[in-house]
Amino acid sequence: MARIERFEDTDESGTRHKAHISAQAPLRVKPSRHNLAPNSELETRGPKPDPARVIYLKKRNFNMFKKDLILRNPLRLMGHETEDILPKGGFGAVLARAGVGKTAFLVQLAFNSLLRNKNVLHISLDDPVKKVCLWYEEVFRNIAHQYNVKQTDQLWEAILPYRFIMTFKVEGFSVPKLEERLTDLTEQGIFLPHMILIDGLPFDETVRKPLSDLKTLAINHSMHVWFAVRIHRHERPGPDGMPAPLLQVADLFEVAIQLQPVGKEIHVRGLKGGTAPSDHPALLLDPSTMLIKDKG
Amino acid sequence: MTTSSVKGNSTMKNDIQKVRNIGISAHIDAGKTTLTERILYYTRRIHAIHDVKGKDGVGATMDFMELEKERGITITSAATYCEWQGHEINIIDTPGHVDFTIEVERSLRVLDGGILVLCSVGGVQSQSITVDQQMARYKVPCIAFINKCDRSGANPARVIDQLKEKLGHNAVAVQIPIGLEADFNGVVDLVSMKAIYFDGDNGEHLRIEPIPQDLLSEAMQRREVLIDAASMFSDELTEAALEGEVTEDLLLQAIRKATLTREMTPVFMGSAYKNKGVQPLLDAVTKLLPCPSDIENQALDTDNDEVPVTLSCDPQKPLVAFAFKLEDGPYGQLTYIRVYQGTLAKGDTIVNVRTGKKVKVGRVVRMHAAQMEDIEVMPSGYIGALFGIDCASGDTFVSPGIGLTMTSMHVPDPVISLAIIPKDHKAEVNISKALARFTKEDPTFKAYVNDQTGDTIISGMGELHLEVYLERMRREYNAEVTTGMPRVAYRETITNRAEFNYTHKKQTGGAGQFARVAGYMEPITEEDFVFESKIVGGAIPTQFIPACEKGFRKCLAKGPKMEFPVTGIKVVINDGSSHPVDSSDMAFQAAARGAFLEGYAKAKPVIHEPIMKVVVETPVEFQGTVMGTLNQRRGMIVGTQDEGHMCVIEAQVPLAEMFGYSTVLRSATQGKAQFTMEFATYRQVPKGVADELIKKAAEEKKNVA
Repeated sequence: MARIERFEDTDESGTRHKAHISAQAPLRVKPSRHNLAPNSELETRGPKPDPARVIYLKKRNFNMFKKDLILRNPLRLMGHETEDILPKGGFGAVLARAGVGKTAFLVQLAFNSLLRNKNVLHISLDDPVKKVCLWYEEVFRNIAHQYNVKQTDQLWEAILPYRFIMTFKVEGFSVPKLEERLTDLTEQGIFLPHMILIDGLPFDETVRKPLSDLKTLAINHSMHVWFAVRIHRHERPGPDGMPAPLLQVADLFEVAIQLQPVGKEIHVRGLKGGTAPSDHPALLLDPSTMLIKDKG
Repeated sequence: MTTSSVKGNSTMKNDIQKVRNIGISAHIDAGKTTLTERILYYTRRIHAIHDVKGKDGVGATMDFMELEKERGITITSAATYCEWQGHEINIIDTPGHVDFTIEVERSLRVLDGGILVLCSVGGVQSQSITVDQQMARYKVPCIAFINKCDRSGANPARVIDQLKEKLGHNAVAVQIPIGLEADFNGVVDLVSMKAIYFDGDNGEHLRIEPIPQDLLSEAMQRREVLIDAASMFSDELTEAALEGEVTEDLLLQAIRKATLTREMTPVFMGSAYKNKGVQPLLDAVTKLLPCPSDIENQALDTDNDEVPVTLSCDPQKPLVAFAFKLEDGPYGQLTYIRVYQGTLAKGDTIVNVRTGKKVKVGRVVRMHAAQMEDIEVMPSGYIGALFGIDCASGDTFVSPGIGLTMTSMHVPDPVISLAIIPKDHKAEVNISKALARFTKEDPTFKAYVNDQTGDTIISGMGELHLEVYLERMRREYNAEVTTGMPRVAYRETITNRAEFNYTHKKQTGGAGQFARVAGYMEPITEEDFVFESKIVGGAIPTQFIPACEKGFRKCLAKGPKMEFPVTGIKVVINDGSSHPVDSSDMAFQAAARGAFLEGYAKAKPVIHEPIMKVVVETPVEFQGTVMGTLNQRRGMIVGTQDEGHMCVIEAQVPLAEMFGYSTVLRSATQGKAQFTMEFATYRQVPKGVADELIKKAAEEKKNVA
């Protein structure tokens, strides 16, 4: 007999009682962050007079894990409360020097959408499809390892259909070309992206035009776009601390986040949007896994 | 196939340092067979050149099966022998199509070095990636040859970049082309810093000249890059480079050292079809690729728990030889063999490790495509063939008293099957002969009889794989067959944990039967089947536990849901009961069967289907159309890669939807796109499709009844 989980009504003090009931013996489980996640679907369902709602344990773990990951996505941890911090047509930038972890960060943002069953189009101008896939596998493996997840295969299979990778040669990439490809996909109903990630676009003096065109495209298709922006050591940031590549086009971006290596750690700083820019790093990344480190 | 025996005056030189066992691997149509043909011509093994799709109707020497000639593809890897600059070279020509991958893997298993042929226009194509992974798996050092430099759109520099980016090779040019496309007329050798031109009708006369002025600065610059890369592997070279005294020998030694450890891939270029660049490539084979004693080979000790043992390339030691390919010719079975240790001589008695049978070596031959040359002995490091030895491919032969076996090769399970029905009685007899031979030759090709329908079923790695065998049956065995619809190898598995508690009881008279088995089953991903006994206190007597396992195992061959094999299931028994008189092995087997059926029905069984990784290369203008065709086939497009005027689409598509795709793709792209397909994984069949399958199976059952 499958194990069932029963949620009982809240008592007067508002404390929820929860019990696992198995065929052999009832098992008490201490409420923890994992099984009592705030804002989770389970909680928002609210107290019900009839407590006998049966959820298969396996499915529960699967859903809980998904929700847990969504809650732990880097943006939410930085204080962005809503699910999509970017509006339709909005731009976000992840800035860092080469090798600091822009792609890994973008992939984590992608997972946040994929887990919510929202389509992500990942465009890479540097790497072949195979390498982009490897990034996803690597980040996923690290996440699964960090949260000690067992059913990785099932989750992986569940999110894959929401991802589409497109790679271009840097010199071969143009907005009209992208638009053409998007039309190929959308007209045949193959893939309708909700979010686009662009990795490897050179932010030089000519970038304003393609970015403006992309903005129009994003607004027309109701999408938002995240960019990985490479910054160089020798380029001086602007007076407000905005890194050089974004100086001339900052007006197009709603959110900018910088990854900065400090000693053995990587600090995640919000430069624009969300919480106000501050001198104190909001979060730390583990340089070995590029995941947000647990505080404490 | 015509096999003529050429009695050779074979005196084998026994200098192992001068032996090279090499393979030539590449994407379809990159020009492997043409290159091999030219190599044979320049080494004087053949005296005329025939093209792969030649108008003269002769075809290239290596494509020796008629079918291969007709289709312009290589199917079986023929081994051939040639000599160059005092070196003995054994070449295995490997097929490029992914459906025949087992052939490529088998060849790589016995090779010491490889030439990776790339098209200067197409660059690193999907199949090159597969072949490269296989080379990496068997740690085969390789050199690259960028072919077709005379074609319009040729760009060797781009191909070198792709070798680095896509395959992760430390690819370094050892030559630069003199002219390209229609103007391609030779190469500059960056080691000797000389220009090489190829004169004569068939490019047989090499003309060495100083480097043309307009290429001098590029050559100097490229040589610097080469020296820089090579000096990473040689301190001597670094010192010499600092002093500006780099000698040819020093540079070659450093390149060789890096090549043998797979840390560098030297890149050569030319056009085999236009007879350019082949001789310098042969020089490179002798100078840069390893001889058998440079490579460490391992065998497993059957007497000592299969502990790996390193073999020594010493001809005086006891024999260890590996049969890597079989062919059935008019004179009996021909077994291609590589000797790893010791010497194989005519008249020797050797032991087949798998069967333990002793066999006497009759004829030992050296192969040259469909011709052969008798030899007396075959020392370690050599590749040759034996006549009249009964064995399967992958068998190991050793001297009597030795218990060593070469590691078994990774053989994938077949993913597609087809029912065949002979047209008449004659065909029926011939089919059985043909199947006996094909299944022996190719471990990925299987044949069996369906108990229910009585049909003969053949299964393999893809549609083309089976088609080729059907064609061979027709041609070589004169067996006409009609075929059913191809069938996909579905599997069943469970998705939930479920408990069972089943009592088998027959105590109504005569000898009674009683057994009770209780426990649970749950899905697992790592293995096909796991059985665990958590019985305590003798609830089921120990002697009956194996009977329980046997009972469960018997249920796996035909799943209760759709009669597909069951995989990914763990069965744990934790309770039961027995009767002092009426319990028996039989009773517990029957109880286990009942328990399996009981648990299985509750464990939410599902059907899994094979999913193929499909890679389509198409001109950009057809990208949308091609994605449409994949999408219609329940394909999940993983990504698209834009490569200028061409683009590569990677998708995962259920095999069941891929039948006849080549025709669809051809007509959708005016024949300009090509695709490769290989098995990727098993995935759950969507509900709608599963319902269809169940309906179909029910109908078939009704028809059979």
